[in-house]
Amino acid sequence: MADIVLDGVSRVFGHGDKRFVALDKVSYTVADNEFVAVVGPSGCGKTTCMRMAAGLEFPTSGTCKVGGKIVDRPGPDRAVVFQQFALFPWKTVQQNIDFGLRSLNVPRSEAGDRIAASIKLMGLEGYEAAYPHQLSGGMQQRVAIARAYVLNPQVLLMDEPFGALDAQTRTVMQEELLRVGRINPRTVMFITHAVEEAVYLADRVIVMTRRPGRIKETIDVKPVRLAEKWDNYERIEDVMDLESFVHLRTRIWRLLREQHDPADH
Amino acid sequence: MGPALPTRQLVLLSAVGLAIFFGIWTGAAWLELAPRRFLPMPWDVIDRAFKLTETRFSGQTLQGHLVISVERYLRGFILAVLVGVPLGLLMGWYRWLDYIVTPVFDALRFVAPIAWVPFAALWFGTGIGGPTMIIFAGAFPPCLINAYRGARYVETRYIEAAQTLGASGLRVVREVLLPASLPSIIAGLRISAGAGWQSLIGAELIAANAGVGLMMVRGQAALDTSIVMVGMIAVGLIGLLIDVALRGAETWIKAKQGH
Amino acid sequence: MRALTFLLLESGAGMTGADSGKTRLVVGGATIAGLIAAWYIASTTGAIPKLDFPSPEQFVAAARQVVVEPGFADGLLFDHLLHSVKIILLGFFAATAIGVPLGLWMGWSRTAEALINPIFLLIRPIPALAWIPLAIVWLGLDDAAKVMVLWFAAFVPSVINSYTGVRSIDRPIIEASRMLGIGRMAVITDVIVPGALPSIFTGLRLSLQGCLTALVAAELLGAILGLGKVLYQAGLDIYPAMILVGMVAVALTGFVLTALLDVVESRSMPWRKR
Repeated sequence: MADIVLDGVSRVFGHGDKRFVALDKVSYTVADNEFVAVVGPSGCGKTTCMRMAAGLEFPTSGTCKVGGKIVDRPGPDRAVVFQQFALFPWKTVQQNIDFGLRSLNVPRSEAGDRIAASIKLMGLEGYEAAYPHQLSGGMQQRVAIARAYVLNPQVLLMDEPFGALDAQTRTVMQEELLRVGRINPRTVMFITHAVEEAVYLADRVIVMTRRPGRIKETIDVKPVRLAEKWDNYERIEDVMDLESFVHLRTRIWRLLREQHDPADH
Repeated sequence: MGPALPTRQLVLLSAVGLAIFFGIWTGAAWLELAPRRFLPMPWDVIDRAFKLTETRFSGQTLQGHLVISVERYLRGFILAVLVGVPLGLLMGWYRWLDYIVTPVFDALRFVAPIAWVPFAALWFGTGIGGPTMIIFAGAFPPCLINAYRGARYVETRYIEAAQTLGASGLRVVREVLLPASLPSIIAGLRISAGAGWQSLIGAELIAANAGVGLMMVRGQAALDTSIVMVGMIAVGLIGLLIDVALRGAETWIKAKQGH
Repeated sequence: MRALTFLLLESGAGMTGADSGKTRLVVGGATIAGLIAAWYIASTTGAIPKLDFPSPEQFVAAARQVVVEPGFADGLLFDHLLHSVKIILLGFFAATAIGVPLGLWMGWSRTAEALINPIFLLIRPIPALAWIPLAIVWLGLDDAAKVMVLWFAAFVPSVINSYTGVRSIDRPIIEASRMLGIGRMAVITDVIVPGALPSIFTGLRLSLQGCLTALVAAELLGAILGLGKVLYQAGLDIYPAMILVGMVAVALTGFVLTALLDVVESRSMPWRKR
């Protein structure tokens, strides 16, 4: 079992007059091998949720558990893919992917096999000795995903992983992620502000509000996907044209639009 | 500021500048504003430099003194790098170490390195140990400060990535903080190399049994300005060489990391 | 308790807790107090030989000797201090009064740069301390010789940093001010100098440090009065307590002069956030 459970999680920054509630008693669960996307306007605390699951930040109150254990530090059982990739510029592709394996003390021969497998999975053959700055954004993100997958983690935490990519590369990567996810299903918390991406990838979409960060609504995508047989379509644009998809997308759009404070404009 | 000058004009102006400098020097010596032993002609200095490579002065030839100086220098400088850089990086990561070392370091920072000379001579003598300690005192602070600053300003995402990949503290220091702060460290090494070289000369002027600094002091005692000037030129040239080498290393590392 | 776990656990950059300033102060104070206690214990038990390093009592006695009476190395500490500071200020001002304008001019005018830079490049690599023997041959052990050495120590950094200061001003700022039809003189006083000021002060700081080092070195090589003279005499007499007193005096001098420069810096750049 590797589920993520946020239970009444609040996060408060600053104190006194400058007190600012980023998350207000947020509770949700990402079930074992479930893919949950969290969407919301910037500043709604969606990234903070992910960072808590990663052990990079801690709740002011409430608990965040992964696999039944309270998260108290970062660790390779919860692999993180960052928006800015965060590849080590001074390490080659191979060395970047190897970094986590060495923390786990995986025997060298086994590590070699696993690296080769994840390089193949992400279509990175031939780039083993390249440095990140020699790769395009899309390729860098493949390396970042390979670096996470190679650890065979129970939980994958992704923070707008495709946010820094151009539209085309983004589409390719989304299809790729879905493909890899089918081969190796994992518990995934996927943070994004792109509604289509969330609907396309996730089993469930959590919509959050801003100031304070709360859950607005949870939308089940999986039943629709199965009923409408989205998986029979290979390309993302074909899925996006389906009425069932458009319907879900519009619904989430509305939820996000509603919270636009008129005073902002 | 205007646009860059055309090369021809630049060369011409530079030549004029140098001509003025050497013109004043030669002119003053020619007019004998001071006795020639106090103000030698430029070529007297060159001539003296060649003579010093052949005949010994205060125990060594010019190159002999230089070898001794450089050897001492390397000893002190390398020691400073080996202690300062790792300590600075560790202080950038382990907060308790930062809290303990920083106040001590700050208290010692205002002691001019050269003020360690009496203790250095008392504790380690004037042969190898004393001067090495003075060079260390000069070269150590920039090593530590730049490694520390480099480590503190490493982008958070690299550190977080390493932590989520399960790296231990020491591994973060070695594989993330060290490479990420290399540009800062090398910049520190350049400052440190210059400070160390200056400290070496100071130490050798005051308390040493050989070396280019001693040669200069003996030249001074013999009221032989040309020997002193040969020493100054040699010291300047070696200092310049060290800096050029480190600057090369800096460019190389930056290019390698894709800056 | 949280502060303690926070301290003992490894921590990353950017994790600045609200109480980190206080913790820093407490741990820092405890470290210094611990070192002084260790010094006291080590010297009373004889773990440190008295001939290598003084005990706290010896240090206090030596300090009293030189501060109150009868003095050391031909003077009271005050006399030595006054003499050293006088030379430092003389050298510092003589050098920077020429160095800063020269650096600014070289930054501003390509012609000036082309003309002066080669000469400057000849002087620059020579460490300030290497001028000491020449200064002694030319000017003897007088104050003049020391001022000459300090002049070189302070001159080089003040030129370099003033020059870089001008060169690092955003070109658009200069061009904009030119387009506004501001006179040449006004561009220099209102744009160039303020723009270069942060860098100029970096240079002045280095100049001041250079002066202090050069002064101590020059006085160690021969002086009638001065902090370096105290160190020299104490070294000669193998009088560790007085060596330590001399070092503390040098450090305090450096500290106070740097602090004064800090005050001047923040006063002259009120627009900068500190």
